[in-house]
Amino acid sequence: MSAVNESDTEFERNARRVLEESVRRIDARTRSRLNQARHAALEAAATRRRGWFGRLTLMPAAGAVAAAVLVAVVLWQREPVGKPPVGPEAQRAAVEDMDLLTDNDSIDLMEGWDGSFYEWAAAQSDAGTESHS
Amino acid sequence: MPEFATLASPYSMPAALHGDVDLTDPEEQTQTRALNQFLAGVELKAFKIAQAALRHEDDALDAVQDAMLQLARAYSDRPPAEWKPLFYRILENRIRDMQRRRTVRGRVMAWLPVRNDEDDDDYDPVAQAPSPEPQPVRRLEIDEAVGALEQALQQLPHRQRQAFLLRALEGLDVAATAQAMGCSEGSVKTHYFRAVQALRGQLGELYL
Repeated sequence: MSAVNESDTEFERNARRVLEESVRRIDARTRSRLNQARHAALEAAATRRRGWFGRLTLMPAAGAVAAAVLVAVVLWQREPVGKPPVGPEAQRAAVEDMDLLTDNDSIDLMEGWDGSFYEWAAAQSDAGTESHS
Repeated sequence: MPEFATLASPYSMPAALHGDVDLTDPEEQTQTRALNQFLAGVELKAFKIAQAALRHEDDALDAVQDAMLQLARAYSDRPPAEWKPLFYRILENRIRDMQRRRTVRGRVMAWLPVRNDEDDDDYDPVAQAPSPEPQPVRRLEIDEAVGALEQALQQLPHRQRQAFLLRALEGLDVAATAQAMGCSEGSVKTHYFRAVQALRGQLGELYL
């Protein structure tokens, strides 16, 4: 990367020597301040690297938390299994339900349900029908 | 060139001895050492480049410090081969920001009363401490050459000075210089050629 080469003129070579001499003459106070600046820069670089390392070590824990949150959100938002009934069948069922809910007699009947009596009454009714015929 | 011998470089010591950076992780230790080595290698030249552009020592130090921090924070994980053009690109942006801010501040300050800041300059014994230098006559010659070149550099347009310093002082090749300057390689060659011509016109043949 050096610019020093055979094609440099005598003037350029001398100029380079003069410049290098001027660098050597930089006083102790300036060298000290540059030294301090360099250490500050090294510390900044080390802090940056430690920051990256710290983030990398936290990565598994952060990943586990993120996965748990994701699962919770998915379960929360998930639709129930199966779809609600739609169409004429569903409408008819809904109308029957409404009849049951609004008819007080039907509800009373259901509350005092006596299966054997109604079975006997139905048998009598069927027997009467057959005898008339 | 024994006359240019100077203090032993403090940057050859292991990075672990430099400061308080925790180097327990081997990979981090390697990265920190590489970054330390890179910054130590460019900081003085970067300071001279910033100083030539800003003509103010403290501003130049601030610019270099900001560039170091930004490189460390944003690009330290890049391959070290990419650091140098990136660093000088950041430094160049910082220099431009400071020049822009200075222009605005100059416009504002022109409306305010003049304040004398000379009393604020405290004597700094560290800055005044003697360093190993060549003999007086030779030192005078070097002083003159350095002063003449620095003065001539300040006469150059910003882009020419930047191209010249990145190529001649930092040793970047044309492609890396173009990357640092944010322009084409052809522009770098043009800026550099014109800078050399202008400097030669001002200084004649420069000897050291």
